[in-house]
Amino acid sequence: MAVSATAALVQTLNGIQFGFILFMIASGLTVILGILDVLNLAHGELFSLGAYTAIGVFGFIIGVIGPPGGGVVGTVVFVLAVIAAVLVTAAILLPVGTIFEAVFLRQIYDRDQVYQLVLTFALLLILLDVKKFIWGDSSIRTDAVYSAINTIPTSELVGLNYPTYNVFVILVGSAVVAGLFWFFERTKTGRIIRATAIDREMATAIGVSTDRVFTLVFALGAFLAGFAGAMAVPPTSATLEMGTNPLVLSFVVIVIGGLGSLRGAFVGALLVGVIRSWMITLYPPGEIAAPFAIMALILLVKPEGLFGTWGETA
Amino acid sequence: MKRTTTDHDSEGIGRRQLLSAVGGSAVAAALAGCSTLLSDGEAADQGGQSGGGISDEPIQAGLLTFTRGAPGVLGIQAQRGAELAVQRINEAGGIGGQREIELDVVNEGSNPLDSYNQFIEEGKEVTFGPISSGTHSQIAPEVEKNEVINLGTDGTVTTLYEETVPDPTYSFRFQNYDIMEVVTMAREAVQRVGADNISTVAGVNPGYSFGEDEMRVFTQAIQQLTDAEIVYEGFPELGASDMANHITSINNEEPDVTFSSLWGGDVTTFVRQASANNMFENTTVFGTTLYSAAGDVPADALAGTDIYSGSRNYYWGLPALGNWQPGRELFDAATQQEGVTVPTAHYMSGYGAVTAWATAVEKAIDLLGTYPSQEQIAQVLEGHGFFTPAGYHNIAEDHQGASNSFAGQMVYDDDLGAARLEDVNTYPATETAPPPGVTGSDWLDSWSA
Repeated sequence: MAVSATAALVQTLNGIQFGFILFMIASGLTVILGILDVLNLAHGELFSLGAYTAIGVFGFIIGVIGPPGGGVVGTVVFVLAVIAAVLVTAAILLPVGTIFEAVFLRQIYDRDQVYQLVLTFALLLILLDVKKFIWGDSSIRTDAVYSAINTIPTSELVGLNYPTYNVFVILVGSAVVAGLFWFFERTKTGRIIRATAIDREMATAIGVSTDRVFTLVFALGAFLAGFAGAMAVPPTSATLEMGTNPLVLSFVVIVIGGLGSLRGAFVGALLVGVIRSWMITLYPPGEIAAPFAIMALILLVKPEGLFGTWGETA
Repeated sequence: MKRTTTDHDSEGIGRRQLLSAVGGSAVAAALAGCSTLLSDGEAADQGGQSGGGISDEPIQAGLLTFTRGAPGVLGIQAQRGAELAVQRINEAGGIGGQREIELDVVNEGSNPLDSYNQFIEEGKEVTFGPISSGTHSQIAPEVEKNEVINLGTDGTVTTLYEETVPDPTYSFRFQNYDIMEVVTMAREAVQRVGADNISTVAGVNPGYSFGEDEMRVFTQAIQQLTDAEIVYEGFPELGASDMANHITSINNEEPDVTFSSLWGGDVTTFVRQASANNMFENTTVFGTTLYSAAGDVPADALAGTDIYSGSRNYYWGLPALGNWQPGRELFDAATQQEGVTVPTAHYMSGYGAVTAWATAVEKAIDLLGTYPSQEQIAQVLEGHGFFTPAGYHNIAEDHQGASNSFAGQMVYDDDLGAARLEDVNTYPATETAPPPGVTGSDWLDSWSA
């Protein structure tokens, strides 16, 4: 099929937008894996919990400030309120991650990895039931955020037919990427976390509390999952099963990028997003297979992933 | 002027005439939605042939349906429909005037075959369901093995009685099946857009056997009716959160018609994202089950869209509720049930499956004077005709239900708080279904001959 230049650009943007959502999910997963050496099977449910929680937070904040007012000021206030709601949602996930690590995971660090897998799978099932208990079986949705942000003119100003909400995801996703790299490269806490990942014993010897670092990292992972859930839910619905596919794709992303590598997760997520997008354009039945095909190819050529494991750089 | 039923009406119809018309018993009258046309006490008095060796032991029935998750949008409708039918049967005195029904509802879930076998182990005398085509293909052979009647609510895959169970005895399906709803929408597309104006067609369908089956049949049907070329086929997975790529591909191709069999929450996601991408400026969408999201899709997403949806064998607004008391009563009863904003075709799937079975058993009791065996009920069900508030239905000799199909433009109704269909067309089964014994594919091929 012939693809026009405009359609090609929009499909690429679709892929980048999807890639940023994937990165926000996979970054938490890969940070936990890189530092704690734990493959958190409950990460998809944390993402889903973020989506469910965000619907309530969006509703509350929009209820307080009202629908987007006219003019630039009203629009800016609304967008800032949405960003605040996303951050509040992610912050609500912080204690969830803290409890998971401090109460459950900490007890089994010295055991075989299979125990960690079983435990995080149990946490996955518990979170599933918690969601069912709180929000019920049916899907839930928030309409206001997606509709309101899409009324802000952005892409049409340059003659493109592309939803403003997707532009919003790309911009916020870029800020998350920049923020994470700044945190791990430039802040003291970030450097301590990296040092712990590189050499746990040495970090302990110079006075770093690995317990605290581990709790912080798991909480950060939950924060990122919640953030991703809040950003992903406005164009769709929150459903009980919504955590499964992102978890599987996040595994693909971190295998492509290198287990535990933040840089790898970023590149892997964009790669998966854009290639999947182009696969749907050129050969739609290949949509599901495409990310796994890339993963298989990378494993054949570079088994440690594109960027290796967590180390000197994030 | 809104017409209401009066004593004069029921006297005019005549009790015997009314009962005879709907199937001869109070249960049949209740299920047709006509029991209020009988005077007080008459309904219970006409509960079929009571006594005569019929015990008063309740009938244990099982319904396999989705009760949660994304497919619950359809499954809960079927459940509520079946529950209302059972309630009406029991209020009319039970089957044969003696036996009330106890309906056990189980989630279709991930192990539907186990759930079905559990029903059989528990001694259920009849099973209803399932919703999924995949489940139906799994359980239909088991139904034949177990020799206990199953009245399929949905699971509408075309190949069920063509390939999976080609010579069924105990397996029946009430709802119009895939070929019927797809041919309905192919005819609707031609009716609305015009055969000469359809040269390109795209499809966005669920990425599993149902969606693939529907797209295959639509392609065959539309290419028999027009000279259309298929320019894009996308199959997003069930529950996909991002349909932007498929929408961009449609915007790129600008097809005259886009066919979709998305259902439930996927419809809402698709319509919202398509609206945000201005897709409806480039194509007109025709879908078989888009209306299944009637209570879910928001008003702003439907504004400015160009969507036509089928509604299988039931649309609550036709005949208009003000002119059709059985329809009005069904609508009122349904909308009071939990989880039903408006009753959709899936509601009728549950209601109609129970009705088909119950009216067949009543007929068998009338003929035999005693409670029938599974085999005798199966014999009566072949070629069995009966009424629901949706009209007259028939289970053909090939065990497939055949009813009128409905399709219209999907618009949002503020008063209803849900979507409704506007300017609804009705298609008789003779225009949408192959004759018994002819496969769907052969029938579609024969159109050009």
